Amino acid sequence: MTGLILVLAAAAQAAPTDVTYTEGDATTRYTSGKQQDTEVGDLLNTGDSVKTGDDGQVEMNQKGVTIKVSHGTVFTLMERELSGQKAPVLSVALGSIKFRYGKLTGQEPLVRTNGATLGVRGTEFTVFAGADGSTLIAVDAGQVTVQAEGKSVELASAEGVEVGLGKPPGDKFVVHSDQIDYSKWNDGKLNAMLADPIAAVQSIQGTMAGYIKDVNDYFTLLQQYREKLAAEQATLAQMRKEKGAAEGDKYAEEVVSPLVSQTINLGMNVRFSALAALSLRRYVSGRLYLFMKARYITHRESSSYVEFLTQFNDMLSSFEESIVPFLVKADI
Amino acid sequence: MCTRVGKGYIVRVGSSRKLAGTVVALVVILSSCASIQRSWDQSNVEMVVQLVNDGQAQKLAAMSATPFLVDGEIVALKPDVASFWSGIVKAGFRVEGATLAQGVALTDESYKQFADTMEVKSFFAQYLKKDARILELRTATSGDRILLILGGGWPTKTIYGFKGPF
Repeated sequence: MTGLILVLAAAAQAAPTDVTYTEGDATTRYTSGKQQDTEVGDLLNTGDSVKTGDDGQVEMNQKGVTIKVSHGTVFTLMERELSGQKAPVLSVALGSIKFRYGKLTGQEPLVRTNGATLGVRGTEFTVFAGADGSTLIAVDAGQVTVQAEGKSVELASAEGVEVGLGKPPGDKFVVHSDQIDYSKWNDGKLNAMLADPIAAVQSIQGTMAGYIKDVNDYFTLLQQYREKLAAEQATLAQMRKEKGAAEGDKYAEEVVSPLVSQTINLGMNVRFSALAALSLRRYVSGRLYLFMKARYITHRESSSYVEFLTQFNDMLSSFEESIVPFLVKADI
Repeated sequence: MCTRVGKGYIVRVGSSRKLAGTVVALVVILSSCASIQRSWDQSNVEMVVQLVNDGQAQKLAAMSATPFLVDGEIVALKPDVASFWSGIVKAGFRVEGATLAQGVALTDESYKQFADTMEVKSFFAQYLKKDARILELRTATSGDRILLILGGGWPTKTIYGFKGPF
């Protein structure tokens, strides 16, 4: 599976998230597409996002998990299926977020960034998501498993690891989250990305290809399950007619209902992968385009810019063709 | 006032002479509306161009909406919109001798002028106010085109998007 995800136990249901503190510029974007200033008391649900400006800060609470969103951050509540269950996912597209768990229940939400997936058994850790799609994780207390590109690293207290976009986790190192200057780290990432924009866009393209594969795989399965479900529903209708309501109810409970759940879960995973791709496109590749455009606006014929645009447009074509059909207007 | 002209009160005119007079008056009013609109578009273009040429990135950022459109890219974060304006100013970008080629109200197809994609179509549908207009500039020196999406009345103007030069 694509990306870096902190893997927490995954049986939890998506829980509403309360905004408990705001400061400076902070905007909430709801799944409906509506946007408004984030305010204390706001209730966020799956699909909602919070974006903080240069002076913004937001603190939220989700079932005992304190989520402290720093300035210049994009945070989204997502969900996906994991081991047959609906699992909430806390997504950090850009910026930094500190997570603090009151206590571990085994139902902690997943945490993800554009480049990785994490499993959490820690009680306090910070996730930094850089301009180039890199991720830096620093654990203050407890344990966190960082997974990316099929490899995983176990972090204990006072340990950290960096994960480049499309790369497995690097070597872990000793660190405390307070020692990390996000702005400095992120500036370094941004400068490195702009120093070699072709490599950056290729790296984005590689990760995008992973998301596209996920979408295609889940969608193929989804179609199979839809067909299977339609057939079973027809069988159920026939059974009710021929064998009566009781037999029908039993068949519905044992065969049709699990199939409905599996079909819904697959649909959820298609959407999750498509939205993850959109996050990569908006907060990594889109920003790269913007910086490149500003940098080369007075010499657009430069060969390196032209080459960048060619690669960028290739990536965009893949996105348009394979991801956009699974997005809706309100996602934009 | 101009937009209310022609809402069917011609039927109340009694004679053909009056009718002709009314039609002439309508034509004159509509023409003046068009020229007033063009004059507004022209002054808006001049204002944005002046700010760009004077390197007033902060003012441009303050006038810009979020999300903002640059070519086919939706810029979702306010600091990034500010970075864009400061970036092009820092790069020495100037719009020399720009003239207004045309200003048009939004239609269902307007998004295609920026990019024929679902994302840009959704941006136009969700984030632009009805009074927004697409203003096309041509630069005197290279003949390059620049598109701006501008909205808002006097004295507050909002820039929703920028495309070009192309």
